[in-house]
Parts: sequence; structure tokens; C-alpha cells
Amino acid sequence: MADFTKETNKPAPIVPAQSISGRTLVLLIAIMTFLSSITLGAVILIQKSAIAWSHDVGREVTIQIRPVEGEMMDANLRLAESIAEATKGVASARALTIEESEELLKPWLGEDLDLTELNIPRLVIVKLSDPLNADLEKLKSELKIIKGASLDLHDAWRTKLNSMAGTIVFTGIIGLALILLATSLAIIFATRGTMAQNREIVDVLHFIGASNRFIAGEFQSRFLKIGFRGAIIGSILAIIFFTILGMLSSNIFPDIPTEQLSILFGTFSLGIDGIIAILLLAPIIAGLTAITSRITVRRFLSQIIW
Amino acid sequence: MEKSDSERLGVIKFSNVGLRYGDGPEILKNISFSIKPGSFHFLTGPSGAGKTSLLRLLLLSLKPTSGEMTMFGEDVATLKRERLLELRRHIGIVFQEFRLLDHLNTFENVALPLRVLGQSEDEYKENVIELLDWVGLGKKMDAHPPLLSGGEKQRAAIARAVIARPQILLADEPTGNVDPVLSERLLHLFAELNRMGTTIIIATHELNMIEKFSYPHLQLSENGELING
Repeated sequence: MADFTKETNKPAPIVPAQSISGRTLVLLIAIMTFLSSITLGAVILIQKSAIAWSHDVGREVTIQIRPVEGEMMDANLRLAESIAEATKGVASARALTIEESEELLKPWLGEDLDLTELNIPRLVIVKLSDPLNADLEKLKSELKIIKGASLDLHDAWRTKLNSMAGTIVFTGIIGLALILLATSLAIIFATRGTMAQNREIVDVLHFIGASNRFIAGEFQSRFLKIGFRGAIIGSILAIIFFTILGMLSSNIFPDIPTEQLSILFGTFSLGIDGIIAILLLAPIIAGLTAITSRITVRRFLSQIIW
Repeated sequence: MEKSDSERLGVIKFSNVGLRYGDGPEILKNISFSIKPGSFHFLTGPSGAGKTSLLRLLLLSLKPTSGEMTMFGEDVATLKRERLLELRRHIGIVFQEFRLLDHLNTFENVALPLRVLGQSEDEYKENVIELLDWVGLGKKMDAHPPLLSGGEKQRAAIARAVIARPQILLADEPTGNVDPVLSERLLHLFAELNRMGTTIIIATHELNMIEKFSYPHLQLSENGELING
């Protein structure tokens, strides 16, 4: 018997790892996964912000009281508060002070604002305990006794916001689909190159009776590994990107308070579900790599036999 | 294969077979012969006579452009792709240029046909080691082809061709790259395989070998016709 001390039960791969332009393909898939993850993450952030915004806006209505000559603003504010608090489904009602109104207008009108010189409308913020059953029609009707009072249900904002968020999400999904399509095309070209480079192996396998399925499987397993490696690198980089973005978000717009920023754009935090979605993209892209390469290999093989 | 198939194994029948590449001239013309199971034939002829093309037909890597060719009792013109690959598993081939895979060692190269059949290393390890010992490569199992001599590569190629116990063994100038001593040893190896029941067809232009081993031969003329079959 020969001096053969082969211990491992795992034979060498029939398609050698170095025969596939592995590093280039890993880099390409990593970049594509990163771009896909960024797009997906952006869609998630926008959708989350839109839902949160819509939710917040939906739990609140605003009574606006315009200054009317002969009317006492403070008395009208207190009356509006009491009418609102007596309405079914309302949790609380609070008139904004002059200082709070100044704070609200600061980002748009500047720091040195003195509202005492301006005759501006005043707001009563009405928080709803039960938005679905709040009797807002009754509130609207009862506010008619206050001259210059109107009720803003924020419907226009909500509609615009939902429409804007929907458009951005749709665009993001189209972008994601295009990136995945571009990834597939890049894999097709890489696979064709690999097949041409490994023609000798394919021929030898054919001559010893290997089925197309067997050969495709050998190439697919190599591409699956490459796809996984690239996809995981891309996903991790994307998660790091969003983490850093979340940490730096307060520094991006230093003039705007963090609270207001988060109201407008969310928290720049993907959350666990966002991270899971990005991590799920990795096996999808790895699978896409494997399936695309398998189809390309099968097509290549069917063309070269007889 | 089923028993009914095995009864047909080794049967090769050519009736007026012709072959041309694309729109080129006819390489093989009106080739007719039949080969019985368990026989040993030399395939001879001058360079360019079409020996390698005839072997490629027998390996089912080319389809005849005219005439009728049956292998294992099946008309190759009507073979489906997957069936063709199944039939190829019953044909062993030794290429003139060996065609071993450089990234696999000798053991892995020889075991390749068994891996293709779905066997695990545990299943085929013993058989491969035994065969490599038999062809005198027992101590070269871990060596990769670039480190093997011409004769060693040739023996590894023969081992790979016979490891899955093919019914037909085809060899294209198997002694073309080795010295006369090794050349004779290799032919004794083929004779031994033939005694074990394998149908063997060897393409060669070494007339002294043909005379020495006195097996029947198929002789192609310069213009691709069979003179003696």
C-alpha cells in the first residue's frame, strides 16, 4: 500500500478558487451590496419618519386664533383651551406662550425676534387621546364663538407628507431593483469570463461524463461563496455607515435643534428592523450571485456540447 | 446500466459514416466497421488521416455528418444531451496531451470520474490508491501534474480513464510522449485491462508496437477512408 496519509475527507475543489477573478468580484458585489443597503436603508428611514410624522401629526390638532381688533387674545386662548378640553377624545389643550411661539419661528425668522412688535396668530395645541373617536366636528363648531379662531386638522400636511414619502420609497425601490439588475449583469459577464478561463476543466469534466448539472453546481458553489463574502462586507459597511450617520446627525445641521431635526427627518437610526432588512439583503445578493452564475453556466454548457 | 444494456455494451457500429467540420472538406469518408465487446484494436494511419477525429466520434464529442453510428446499441444521431453524458461515463479516454487538471494532485485527478458519479472520498479512496499502485504511481499521489514526468502523467491519465471501469477505453497516441521501454509497459497495461474485459481502441502511428502486439487494426488512408477494418 502506498504511503498515503491523506486525512481530510474534503477533496480539493474541482474549480480552483484562484481561477475565478475572486477579489474583483468580491469587491464588485461588496460595492453593489453597499449601494443596495444604502438605498434600502434610506427607504426605511424615510418610511419610518413618514409613519412617525403622520402618527404624531395625527395625534394633534391646532387651534389658530388670529388677532381681531377688540378681542382679548389671552381670554380667547383660555376659552379655546376649555372648549377643547371639554371635547370627547381630547387629552389636553395648551396655548403656546409668546416665548414658545418665538422659539418655533426662530429657525425661519432669525434669532433677534421680538413678537411683541408683531401681531401674529396664536396657537393652542390640542393633544388627542383617541384620534379615531375624537369629536372634532363638534370642536370646530363650538370654536365659532371665538372670533378669528380656526381648527387645523393637519390634513394637508399629512397628505403631502404621505405622497412625498410614497414617491421617495417608490424611487428607492426602483433604484434598488436597478442595482440588483446591474449586479446580475456584472455576474453574468464575470461568469462568462470564468467559464472561458476554465474551458479546459469544463472539457475534461464533459469527457469523463459529468452532467451539466454537476459542472454548474461546481461553479455555483464557488460563486455562492464569493457572493456571500462580498454581500456580507457590503452589508457590514452599510450598517457602519448608518451608525456613523446617526451619531453625526446632530452635527450635520448645527443650527437646527436635534429635536426639530428628528421631527423633520427622523432620528437617522435604522433600528433593529432596518439592520435586519440590510442583513437579509446579504443572503439575497449571495443567492442572486449563485443563481445568476448557475443559469449562465448552464447556458454556456448547453452551447458547447454538440 | 440495466442487464439488457450491459449485453450491448462495447458494441460500436459505423455504417458509411462521414465527418466534416463546418463547410470544410470531408475528413472521414464512408467509414464502416463494427467492434465487438472485449476486443482490442489499434487505429492507425498517417498524420492528418483523421485518427483523432474518429476517436472524437467514438467519445461522442462529435456527431457524424453522414451515415449511421451506434454506440451501446443507441443511434447517436438521436441521443439527447443528458443521455449522451450518461453514455460517456462508460467510455474512458486517454488524451495524447494527458489533459490532467494542474490544480488537482494525482490522487484527485484519478478520482475525478468517481467524484462526478457522486461518490465520496471515503467510498473511492481505497480503489484509487490501489489503481495508482498498480500503475506505479503509489508514491506520487500528492504530486501535482506539473511535477510529474511525461510517463507519470501518461499513467495518471490512463488511471483516470479506467478508474470508473469503463466498457470502452480510447487512447490517442498514448505512447507518443514516452520512451520505448515505457511505451511497451503502457501497452502491457492496456493488454491487462483488455483481459479484464475492457474494449480498447488505441490510435497510434508506431508500427513496431502494432506488429509486436498483433492486435487487429483499423487503418485509415491519407484521405480519411478506412483501408482495413
